[in-house]
Amino acid sequence: MRLFYLFKKEILEVFRQKEMVAVLFIAPLLQTILLGYVVRTDIQNIPVEIVNLSSSPDAFRLVNRITHSPLFQVTGLHRRPLDYQEIFKKGQAKAVIVFRDEEMTTAPGRLKGASGLAGGKEGPASGNGESGAATLRPASLLPRPSVQILMDGADANSAMIATGYFYGVIKRYLEDLLADQGQQLPLQPQTLIRFNPSLNSIHYMGPGIVALLLTITTMFLTAIALVREKEQQTLDTLLISRLTPVEIFLGKTLPMALIGLVEMTLGIVVVLLLFRIHLRGSLGLLFIAALVFLFSILSVGFLISLISQTQQQALFFSWFTMVLFLMLSGLLTPVENIPSVFQWLVEINPLRYLVKIIREIFLKGNGLAYFWKDLVVMGVVGFVSFFLSLLNFRRSVVR
Amino acid sequence: MKRLKAVIIKEFKHILRDPRSLAVVFIMPLVQIFIFGHVLSFDLKKIETIIIDYDETSLSRELSQRLAASQYYELYFSPEENAAARKDPDRAEQLLRSGKIKQFIIIPAGFARSLNHSPPATLGVTIDGSDSNIANRIYQYNERILREFSLEKSHLPNPIQVNIKMFFNPEISSPYFIIPGLVAVLMVMISALLTSLSIAREKEAGSIHLLFISPLSPAEIILGKTIPYLLVALLDGTIIFLFARFWFGVPFRGSLTILFLFSLIYLICGLSLGILISTVAATQKVAMMVALLATLLPSLFLSGFIFPLESLSPILRSFSYIVPATYFLRIIRGVTLKGAVLSHFLFEGSVLLAMSLFLLSVASLKFQSMRRSGQ
Repeated sequence: MRLFYLFKKEILEVFRQKEMVAVLFIAPLLQTILLGYVVRTDIQNIPVEIVNLSSSPDAFRLVNRITHSPLFQVTGLHRRPLDYQEIFKKGQAKAVIVFRDEEMTTAPGRLKGASGLAGGKEGPASGNGESGAATLRPASLLPRPSVQILMDGADANSAMIATGYFYGVIKRYLEDLLADQGQQLPLQPQTLIRFNPSLNSIHYMGPGIVALLLTITTMFLTAIALVREKEQQTLDTLLISRLTPVEIFLGKTLPMALIGLVEMTLGIVVVLLLFRIHLRGSLGLLFIAALVFLFSILSVGFLISLISQTQQQALFFSWFTMVLFLMLSGLLTPVENIPSVFQWLVEINPLRYLVKIIREIFLKGNGLAYFWKDLVVMGVVGFVSFFLSLLNFRRSVVR
Repeated sequence: MKRLKAVIIKEFKHILRDPRSLAVVFIMPLVQIFIFGHVLSFDLKKIETIIIDYDETSLSRELSQRLAASQYYELYFSPEENAAARKDPDRAEQLLRSGKIKQFIIIPAGFARSLNHSPPATLGVTIDGSDSNIANRIYQYNERILREFSLEKSHLPNPIQVNIKMFFNPEISSPYFIIPGLVAVLMVMISALLTSLSIAREKEAGSIHLLFISPLSPAEIILGKTIPYLLVALLDGTIIFLFARFWFGVPFRGSLTILFLFSLIYLICGLSLGILISTVAATQKVAMMVALLATLLPSLFLSGFIFPLESLSPILRSFSYIVPATYFLRIIRGVTLKGAVLSHFLFEGSVLLAMSLFLLSVASLKFQSMRRSGQ
């Protein structure tokens, strides 16, 4: 009963300002929609610059394919060598694809002279296009183009994606070339992509973003819950009441858990409807996972609230924790290869487990048998923070 | 000017009175850079793979070895376990489902015969697509290794030679491009969070009325509250940057003056955003929440830090233009890694400057109207 009054007081306090409704529900929903569209976008239109110093028809045809591919956005097509550094410094393109004739690049380290030579040599061929170049030599002696991909290492991620796409273009070209001669590559792998055949990241990023927003809002609100009372000197009232520390913990976290569940439901509904994601697994399990997750991050939030003295400290502590959880969640970058010294950080990260469970429930339709261990670990993280809070309760509150 | 100085001094005392918060502000970003610099990487290596060989010929073994020798793959099974797995193909499926492996490759019986006498030979590859980025990369790695193997065995000429060269970052070291980006993202968050409380705190404590009745103009109050934090943020930024430079050895090829100048503008922009939020929000709680929501996810998702902005539709892309990190990310990557000069960033710099002025003026106007209405 006492617990109920505290619960009611907390709910009232959260919603005393009308802005809180906007901040807790509307802003996260809008962000879910906006960021959902961002992650749904296929990565394409990567700006590349093409320099064709080759006179071979292969190079011409490849340039042609790149120009017509939606994956690339060709920002410039040149027939002579450029100052590649300058292109990257201006941020004009993420990669420059340079075609040369092979015999001219065989001597490594003399690229500059060789490309200058090529630039002068193919002068008459330009303009005539493929046929012009092809008639220069007998068919069997056609120059073999060599391709050099220069990437802007400052945005290596985009550059690597562009390179991957470029390999795809080459592969298809090769196959077409062989097909023209009635041949094919002797090894044809049959690739089956399971669980997400369209390879669209919205299927796990969408629910993932909801989880992130859930973390930001509820964990933070819990983190300032006690500090606020400290700062406003109302904590003493709470302490001389007959509420036990456990009751205070529950009274402070349960309202947030309730808000979090409502928030998550709204978010999941929006994601499912707007982005037409199929939920393969059970909705009930998703909620169980969300509850365990909320318990663990709210306990962490409560612990932050205990160790901070001002709202500002609570703000920075929870910001720190959130960014750590987020970056190590596996949502943005792979966490598989993390050096073992830091691996424990991933292993105690509740968000990482939630992201994993979301993937399993949404995409693989897995049952509890596959992720009960993850639930247990999340629960343990929650309990450990909870007990640390209780241990610290008297010491950090009564000063 | 004198009055402005008074506000600045008062605000400074506020900051120094709470040394613990100050320490937190300085230490946390350092810890974050330290951890993320070591941990974050877009590289994908040691993808757990199972190869089930039903053919068991020298050719199929050669292919298995080729795949296993690649730095990208790591075989999940020992050879003995692999032999057992052949009798139980469901096991691989279970492991894929549980996420223990990312792909399994089945070499069917008769593979070598088919490759030598009646090509094409087939190969069954099953990839876990639940993380589409990872799946995409695995697919590409497979294609590359298998194509090379295929061309080698067929004696078909490879008509095109490809080689890759990475500018500014020749070892393709993830920290080199992640850390400058991270500095950009962290700096805007810290600066916005720093000021987000400054005015809301006075509102909550009621001391805002003292400011109302003082002869200070709104602009003086807003500026006076921003400038002290600018020093804190600058110091913070410098420490983070020095750490990135000397601990991680992020190359620095441009001019320090230019980086400093643009960082200054960028920090002012972040602080102005915080101060506007603080002016509008009724309580510290609301202010902090808005500051977190406004900076955390947009700076990560809409700045080009992770997702290339070029792919976005024009409408979505327009949202990236209101995220300050978008501009500074280009600047800091350009100056540190590429040695870019001032003329490359006139546009980015002016936008950041215009944004700061806009945010500061709106904050002053809002403050003015608050004062007039007395609340």
